[in-house]
Amino acid sequence: MNPFIQSNLQLSDPISRREMIRLGARGFGALGLASILSPEILKGNTGRVAGVLGQPHSKPKAKRAIYLFFSGGPSHIDMYDFKPAIRKTHGIELPESIRQGQRLTGMTSGQKSFPCVAPMFDFQKYGRNGTYISELLPHIATIVDDITIIKSVNTEAINHDPAITYINTGTQQLGHPSMGAWLSYGLGSSNQNLPGYVVMISKGGGQSQALYSRLWGSGFLSSRHQGVKFRSAGEPVLYLNNPPGINPQSRRSILDHIARINQDRLQSVGDPEIEARISQYEMAYRMQTSVPELTDLSDEPDHVFELYGPESREPGTFAYNCILARRMAERGVPFTQLFHRGWDQHGSLPRLIRLQCKNIDQPAAALIKDLKMRGMFDDTLVICGGEFGRTIYSQGKLSETDHGRDHHGRCFTMWMAGAGIKRGFEYGETDDFSYNIVKNPVHINDLNATVLHQFGIDHQRFTYKYQGLDQRLTGVQGARVVGDILA
Amino acid sequence: MGSFFGVCLIFQGHVSAESIEFNRDIRPILAAECLHCHGHDPKLRKADLRLDERAGLYAETKDGFIIDRKKPEQSLLLQRILTEDPDDRMPPPESKKSLSEEKISMIRQWIMEGAEWQDHWAFVAPKNPTLPEVAEEAWIGNPIDRFVYSELDQHGLIPSAAADRRTLMRRVNFDLTGLPPTPEEVEAFVSDTGPNAFEKVVDRLLNSERYGERMTLAWMDAARYGDSSVFHADGVRDMWPWRDWVIRAYNSNMPFDQFTVEQLAGDLLPGSTRNQKIASGFNRNHGTTDEGGAIDEEYRVEYMVDRVKTTSNVWLGLSMECAQCHDHKYDPISQKEYYQFYAFFNRSKDRGMQTRNGNAPPLVYLYDPMQEAQVDHFGQQIAGLKENRKRVQPTQGEMSSWAALERAKGLHKKPALGAWMESEPFSETGFDQSFDRDFGPETKKDWAAVKESGNWEPAEDWKDGKPITLSLPDFHSLYAARVIQSEDAMEIDVSLGSDDALKVWLNGEELLSRKVVRGVAADQETVRLKLKPGENLFLAKIINSGGGSGFYFKLGGPRIPLKIVGLLKIKEGESTEEDSTALTEYYSKKVWPVGLKLNEEIQSLEKQQKDIRDSVTTCMVMEDMEKPRATYVLSRGHYASPVKDEEILPGVPAFLPTMPEGVPSNRLGLARWLTLPNHPLTARVTVNRYWQMLFGSGLVSTVSDLGTRGDWPSHMNLLDWLARDFIDHGWNVKRTLKQMVMSSTYRQQSNFTPESRQKDPENILLSRGPRFRLQGEFIRDNVLMLSGLLNAHVGGPSTKPYQPPRIWNEVSLDGNLKYVRDKGDKLYRRSMYIYWKRSAPSPSMMAFDAPTREKCLIQRQRTNTPLQALVILNDVQFVEAARVFAERIMKNGGASIEEKIRYAFLHAVGRPADKLRTQVMTHLYQEQLEAFRQEPERAEALLEFGEFESDDRLDPAEHAALTTLANALFNLDEVLTKE
Repeated sequence: MNPFIQSNLQLSDPISRREMIRLGARGFGALGLASILSPEILKGNTGRVAGVLGQPHSKPKAKRAIYLFFSGGPSHIDMYDFKPAIRKTHGIELPESIRQGQRLTGMTSGQKSFPCVAPMFDFQKYGRNGTYISELLPHIATIVDDITIIKSVNTEAINHDPAITYINTGTQQLGHPSMGAWLSYGLGSSNQNLPGYVVMISKGGGQSQALYSRLWGSGFLSSRHQGVKFRSAGEPVLYLNNPPGINPQSRRSILDHIARINQDRLQSVGDPEIEARISQYEMAYRMQTSVPELTDLSDEPDHVFELYGPESREPGTFAYNCILARRMAERGVPFTQLFHRGWDQHGSLPRLIRLQCKNIDQPAAALIKDLKMRGMFDDTLVICGGEFGRTIYSQGKLSETDHGRDHHGRCFTMWMAGAGIKRGFEYGETDDFSYNIVKNPVHINDLNATVLHQFGIDHQRFTYKYQGLDQRLTGVQGARVVGDILA
Repeated sequence: MGSFFGVCLIFQGHVSAESIEFNRDIRPILAAECLHCHGHDPKLRKADLRLDERAGLYAETKDGFIIDRKKPEQSLLLQRILTEDPDDRMPPPESKKSLSEEKISMIRQWIMEGAEWQDHWAFVAPKNPTLPEVAEEAWIGNPIDRFVYSELDQHGLIPSAAADRRTLMRRVNFDLTGLPPTPEEVEAFVSDTGPNAFEKVVDRLLNSERYGERMTLAWMDAARYGDSSVFHADGVRDMWPWRDWVIRAYNSNMPFDQFTVEQLAGDLLPGSTRNQKIASGFNRNHGTTDEGGAIDEEYRVEYMVDRVKTTSNVWLGLSMECAQCHDHKYDPISQKEYYQFYAFFNRSKDRGMQTRNGNAPPLVYLYDPMQEAQVDHFGQQIAGLKENRKRVQPTQGEMSSWAALERAKGLHKKPALGAWMESEPFSETGFDQSFDRDFGPETKKDWAAVKESGNWEPAEDWKDGKPITLSLPDFHSLYAARVIQSEDAMEIDVSLGSDDALKVWLNGEELLSRKVVRGVAADQETVRLKLKPGENLFLAKIINSGGGSGFYFKLGGPRIPLKIVGLLKIKEGESTEEDSTALTEYYSKKVWPVGLKLNEEIQSLEKQQKDIRDSVTTCMVMEDMEKPRATYVLSRGHYASPVKDEEILPGVPAFLPTMPEGVPSNRLGLARWLTLPNHPLTARVTVNRYWQMLFGSGLVSTVSDLGTRGDWPSHMNLLDWLARDFIDHGWNVKRTLKQMVMSSTYRQQSNFTPESRQKDPENILLSRGPRFRLQGEFIRDNVLMLSGLLNAHVGGPSTKPYQPPRIWNEVSLDGNLKYVRDKGDKLYRRSMYIYWKRSAPSPSMMAFDAPTREKCLIQRQRTNTPLQALVILNDVQFVEAARVFAERIMKNGGASIEEKIRYAFLHAVGRPADKLRTQVMTHLYQEQLEAFRQEPERAEALLEFGEFESDDRLDPAEHAALTTLANALFNLDEVLTKE
């Protein structure tokens, strides 16, 4: 620093006092004014960015979460939800007793025939409990004793846009915050040099359905809580790199000069917002260092890449993003969400799902193993799944080697692991057609309530007043925490 | 729920020494703690007790009075909140609600003081309040100030000093035009000693075209304006003609009641003009879907729900959307009343399933006068020819000889059709690619060759003459092949249909290539097959652009319909008159050369007319069905669960004024009702929104909720006075804004005095002028203006300025949608024209809290984040603007660096740099200059960033150093902030 500029900054917490008061004025349910103004929250000089929940509602099991989200509707039938009896359904017409007049998408509602298709893949039993896993997922087969597989997740939505909006924001209505934004709002972040909610996107081999910024958006919460996209090429975070010709020394000096004048303005105007701005500029500078350090994998030893598989050296792949997600977790990013695209197999499913599974199988399993090796599995929550599953019946023609499947929301499979989730456990059951739930249904809002619970948050008390209502992530229909899957 | 009241306590100083007012103090407690079980929803109501109504509060029960005004301590309400008995205690322990001591004591005090009831303030029409007398008459600029002063006075505060003219000039410029003043304009104002100097400035700004743009930008959030369709593919659309209409409406100072009527019901006005129809596009701005599997009615209902929410939030300041599934929990809106309101919209023609490729009907075409004349001209010609076709008839002779010929020819022996074979679906990355690519069989001459080109399977369930549903994924192609056996050479027509595009070959020769997007139906295309004797190969390719897919085939085509064939079989002389009329009609249209020629001419004219239409911009508009669709309550709000016991007719909630006499029961009537002079909400909500725009926060801080759970107004009488004044002066928007900015309240300086900081930290009492960060669009426009790059063009289509790569590809359907940025001066248009793709909006604007505009939004967030710093420091748009501003400084700013800095500050903040700023900036400049001199390649790199070419006659190191100075300037709080 040059001697002329004495930017003797008193850095306060990046959430400005004014904004905190504004939040308070909107009436955050669980807090009184006193705690909003408490110095612990306003002056988090410990490197923590405090959230609005000063104290969690219960003892948190998770310090952070990694959400592996497969967009398009992965087929639970071909990956997880196997029972020998499903083989007997092959080729038979879907019985009305199973369909029960339930609505279908516009893509197959005109079909005259609904021939059932048993998975065209081998399933073997793995782990202590003999859990069936498809030949498509040989690596995930090796971690069944670490995870809870939930076969009875369900949603009312049957098309991509409403379904993916629903599971990510708790409602099919637009304008609501994503789960990551809610967590950022409630919990803040333990690393003020990195965002509290990071999103990364990778593309699979099949048809990619659209994604929307609302899926990681902040809805009616402050937009500081929206997910920050990390990108595989160019700048890891938008606008992070200095323009050509500006080097770090020059950047540092420019910021010091800006700060000097802003300091002066703060003195003469007295607006606390200026103080906040000064600290935001400092944080921007720190991000310019901490983000490239985070996204530079050159310090990862070969055995790590071997663990995550052959695609893990290639930026932009799901495998690469999994390594990044683990690095985020190590550095205290509370919520990282990986979107992997291309799971919408209306046709040519046997060929396409194999490609998709190849993208994700080894890296997802590696992530669990890696977290375990680093002693982070106990306080890192891993969630894995998509917006719905797929139908037992074939969309289009069923041949000996080929078929498609339409969207199916009445049951599908997700798994959760780490941070207080049972290890080596299967939950929920579906009928022989993998069409209806016969035991222990888990609505997607139950799933989200459970995620919040692992962070020590009571989803019913975690509210934000907007348009006269106490809004919550899990909606008004009464979600419940799935206690049965908790260790 | 402590905070709502807590905030009132601190900031509004409502201490128990003051008397309690029901609306201000008690109603919010009841709403938050009691009304869930004791409100107007009969399904949730416990103990048959209502606390939301006067009658309920004063009711007598078997245990006594709820509120006993004679023996206040006996009031059941009080007893039940005080009792220690968990069985009786209210709120009940299981509700997890509890009343704080403060709240209990307020309720007690209210009851002791007589428990006076008030209707919810916002549901009663505003009356003209008396203007408060104040001690400091000299400070009063206009009536606004009386209300503000009197409130300040009550809290022991005095107004801040007036802002200096330079600061005020910049403030009012941003507020009324969204742009900074030029230094010349600032100097002119500073040196104007006339008594109405400021008024002249305000009038000039209100009359600038920039005013309309500024107001439109705020309205775009409320109107959920976008250039894309939101759901699923989020495809393109053109609604900018509607935006242009809004700009013109504001600039011509259209009264707000007319502004309302035209946007909600312009199409329904008698003899509505094209512009009025365009205005009605307000209600077509919502998201629409094109998702293949979507259920039409589900989305159609979604659009109606959106219209109710938007209308209710924007005009009424009510969260009516809460009553879609059940009665409103807090405001007196029943579910039935919700659907009455919904019924106003539920008769529009637009469908649930719309398109990803542009505008969906109903539309208006934006012809220029020439095109309009041409289209009219073609229309008249077509009508004339059609008339002609009716008049001219073939002679009996012509007719008979044709019939005789046909009979003599005998009817063709039909060729034999082989079984259908279908190929596997072939994948491509896009529709065009899939259409163009030969996946193997195209141009193959016979089945043997085609068969080799891929995997074929018999398509056993295909039936000729019926549309066949295929299940092709997006962008996939499928081939259909069959062998046609003919005994001899002959011609025969085949009628075809497809979803979407279609190509046809016969024996390897292409007969048809139709790149269309459509649903499958019979007889969409006819091709004539010239069959050779023996085996012929018919090959078709169906290409799916997305969503559903299908195919249709029928031999014989429409050339001679069976009915005509039948008629021809009847011997001449034996046919009835009816038969021969049918035969004649067929002959004259389809065979008779004169008739055919007429048809050809008509078709050609129709095509020319269509070509003009296709080249013309359209705008989506509202249009009601001739026979309105019936509306029913949807059980739990679900589209598939209408309660058909009772048809719901359009209507308004009972607690609000009734519909005026003589207005139609449609959107026009609704709009007239909203703008009734005694409407309690519309004017209050509107002036409150304007107040928020200027002062950063509304007089009611919950700007889209003035219902019972909305916040209490900081200046109730001021709000009412403004609303009354607005209505009584013809809903004159410019007049209202002018009054606000002319007030002494607005003209205060915005520095925090120790007193105002302590007693009024949030400026709720308005003890100082507004000071807050400019919205993102203004920040970008500001630097464009300073650099001189700003393209001042008003209106027109959105443009695509700089954006980091792959923002669209990352999320778009199949990832192949590329953002193609504009070039030249389109990079520098005002930010309100940035192309708004709602699934992936401009990231730099999003960093500054721009909403996605997927839904109506009336109050933007205002955050302060590191990402904002990164945008201004590093985004090419801002760095380029700094570089071009630096060029301007070098050329016009004077010789010395001190002069240059003075020039830069005069432009950026309207005042010269003070000593400290001059020192700091000089230091930065010298230091950077030295560094750039040592590393000239860095200077070169910086000067090449952005499309605008640097003037290479300037010294690169100086230019680069000044660029860093200009960029530092852009990042100063005083530049980013309206002070």
